[in-house]
Amino acid sequence: MTQQQSSALSVEGLTKDYPGVRAVDNVSFTIKQGAIHCLVGENGAGKSTLVKMLTGVLQPTSGSITVAGRRHCPRNPQEARDGGIATLFQELHVVDELTVKENLTLGMEASRFGFLVNSKTDEVAIETLATIEPSIDPEARVASLSVAQKQILEISRAASSGASVIIMDEPTAALSEREVERLFAVIRRLRDANVTVVYISHKLDEIFELGDDVTVFRDGKHIVTKPLDEVDGRQQLIELMIGRTVFQQYEPRDIADAEPILQVEHLKTSLLKDVSFHVNKGEVVGFYGLVGAGKTEIARAIYGADKFSGSVRFNGKEIGPTPHDAIAAGIALVPEERRTQGLFTNLTIRENVPVMNLEKISTTGMLSPSRERQAAEHFVAQLGIATSSIEKHTEKLSGGNQQKVVLAKCLFAEADLLLLDEPTRGVDVGAKTEIYDVIKALANEGKSICVFSTELEEILGICDRIILLYEGMLEEELLNGEDVDIAHILNVVTGGAEHKGQ
Amino acid sequence: MSYSISKTRHTPFSARLGQFLRDYYIYLVLILVVVLLSVANLDRFDLFERGNFLNPKNIVNILRVSAPILTLAGAFTLLMVSGHIDLSVGSAMSLAAVVYASLAINGVPFLMAFGLTVVVGVLLGAINGLLVVKLKITPVIATLITLSLYKGVALLMVQDGVSAIKSGGGLKMPGWFNDYGRSGVLLNLPMAFWVAVLVTIALIVVQNKTLLGKHAAAVGGNPTAARLSGVSSNKIVILLYVVVGVSAALAGIARSSFMSLGDPLSGDGMELTAILVVLLGGTAFSGGEGRVLRSFIGALIIMALTVGMLTLVPAYYQTLVVGTVLLIAAASNHLVSRKGSK
Repeated sequence: MTQQQSSALSVEGLTKDYPGVRAVDNVSFTIKQGAIHCLVGENGAGKSTLVKMLTGVLQPTSGSITVAGRRHCPRNPQEARDGGIATLFQELHVVDELTVKENLTLGMEASRFGFLVNSKTDEVAIETLATIEPSIDPEARVASLSVAQKQILEISRAASSGASVIIMDEPTAALSEREVERLFAVIRRLRDANVTVVYISHKLDEIFELGDDVTVFRDGKHIVTKPLDEVDGRQQLIELMIGRTVFQQYEPRDIADAEPILQVEHLKTSLLKDVSFHVNKGEVVGFYGLVGAGKTEIARAIYGADKFSGSVRFNGKEIGPTPHDAIAAGIALVPEERRTQGLFTNLTIRENVPVMNLEKISTTGMLSPSRERQAAEHFVAQLGIATSSIEKHTEKLSGGNQQKVVLAKCLFAEADLLLLDEPTRGVDVGAKTEIYDVIKALANEGKSICVFSTELEEILGICDRIILLYEGMLEEELLNGEDVDIAHILNVVTGGAEHKGQ
Repeated sequence: MSYSISKTRHTPFSARLGQFLRDYYIYLVLILVVVLLSVANLDRFDLFERGNFLNPKNIVNILRVSAPILTLAGAFTLLMVSGHIDLSVGSAMSLAAVVYASLAINGVPFLMAFGLTVVVGVLLGAINGLLVVKLKITPVIATLITLSLYKGVALLMVQDGVSAIKSGGGLKMPGWFNDYGRSGVLLNLPMAFWVAVLVTIALIVVQNKTLLGKHAAAVGGNPTAARLSGVSSNKIVILLYVVVGVSAALAGIARSSFMSLGDPLSGDGMELTAILVVLLGGTAFSGGEGRVLRSFIGALIIMALTVGMLTLVPAYYQTLVVGTVLLIAAASNHLVSRKGSK
């Protein structure tokens, strides 16, 4: 590790409030010049929000940021970069229609009277690209590149921007091992050039391989910042990340002799690698893994929303390949994105509830308004949807109540198997508990439920059985209970199983 | 053009053919149309006399009539590349025509009338741009609004009981008014045509060599990426609407000169022609892709078809034929480009 004196970036009392949620809570820490500084924490710990404030995408509620001794309060990414911070966002941000070279310099072009001129920036960018991945032709159109190549393009762009601080948010998610090695070499070279790299990753091995210092976040709060040398292995880092969070108490249920209702065998998609499992009647099964581990893909495959190979049998029969078939068979999906995929936000609660099963409220093709109203009122009462009327537009409901309307839709469709993808994302704490109660009540009625979640607390709180996923593979299956080893689970979903095998 | 794909040596023949078709299909279509129209009108013993499509008089005539759409095609392409659209171009053209004719008939000298009309174009374009960028109105709706507004103003500027601003009632159009659109200055082609060529050359340079051209493609291709890269999309979009406004004004000047009057309805339907021409040139409706030169060629094709068929088929078949050509072009373009991408 190199010796650093000055601070490249420091935050002081930084806070970001969303309605009902404090995403980042009074955070203060310092990042040294010329170091590779890792940020770790569970999903929702506040890392992404912090990054968005550093890069001008979000404005802090209070607190201050200092970059190289100067106050840094960017209002947009351009100002952040002018202040010396370049960012590699999680999602790809390249323009397919332009060439590699044009993308490399996008927003940083040298120009004279509006005309593009060649400059040092171009050369540096192309050189950087050539060192990371010489096979990419600077003149090729970006549309012809693979996802990994696009990622490398973005990395080259950030690396050649001349910024003193480069933030990388999960840069290796789409890269192959060889490409990761090259990326690491580039990051180390940046460090040698006294550039500070802020590195965010869920893959703890990468953190230990690459990082100089680490900052741990938990529940929006800063836990610790210290040199990685002083961290005693994965286990200690995981303990710092999860702390002594009190998990919702799981109550073991008597479902030992239930028969299987769903059998999935050799499920394969572009991401999933041969996943097989079953779900019993009345059981709550949790699928836990990082973003990109394959949770949503499993849910969508079962529901017939995406193509797959392998066999999905429900009640002993193969299901047809469309969501329509799945609904008819008795399967319902509560999708990841409530507003865009789950609800008709421009319609009322009354109109939303029956959409998956309009036949049930109609006679010879004519909708019966009275039966529609009855259905809506029934579910508002059963699920405890807080609303002044069933005529309220669903966009005006809180996140938790919106989610209950989505659940009502599925229940009205008389589903026996509910696939819940991130059921409490963006929902406040009180409503979360209510949704958990609804899920438990449904399971007790004999419904089978699959919960796909990136929140361990949720998985441990309500699921009878837990399936751990890592990069499209089913790593492990375990029964929930008092003796469940949280550190072990986190180890597995962050790639620890492979680590052990090496 | 600037998207040359390297290593053609190692690619198989079919892929190279596909690439060739993608790059040059618009020129092939132009040649095809010209050949078909010539063969259909062939007068074997009198190659350069009336009746033959390739008759120089005929060509000159087509190019003269085409000046307005040729002027407009390039700017419209850049705007569509940025993922925006301007439905008010026809009305802006009409308004410019009326303004230009009013100035001319009231004794304002050529250069001044010309300059003032261009300023009007800047204004009209800026209004569109501000509606889209500042009031955040969807481009289609914003420019549908100004389509009505601009046309309304154009109609108001013409006195009651008269259909257009023209000689009569003691006022007379000056001689230069008509010359601009009709009298040959070079190769027997009038100023209006050469202005269209100059505008197109300028816009090809803008597209390939300037920040504006590159950022237009970035904004249209991936708005989020553009914003996060620090591209000031708002400035780009306003500027592009202004460029379209100026082109519409120049098109209005060309049209009114050619017709010798300031007709408040002269630009009607121009927005659809512009969209047709640009799409025929291979511009993506969703933005990101498109070349100024190809739209120019697209405009030539449409105009050759429209005018060339006058002698062949009854006028009421024209729209149908133009639609068919566009359908074939769109379908083949789609097929070729789908094969080409991985």
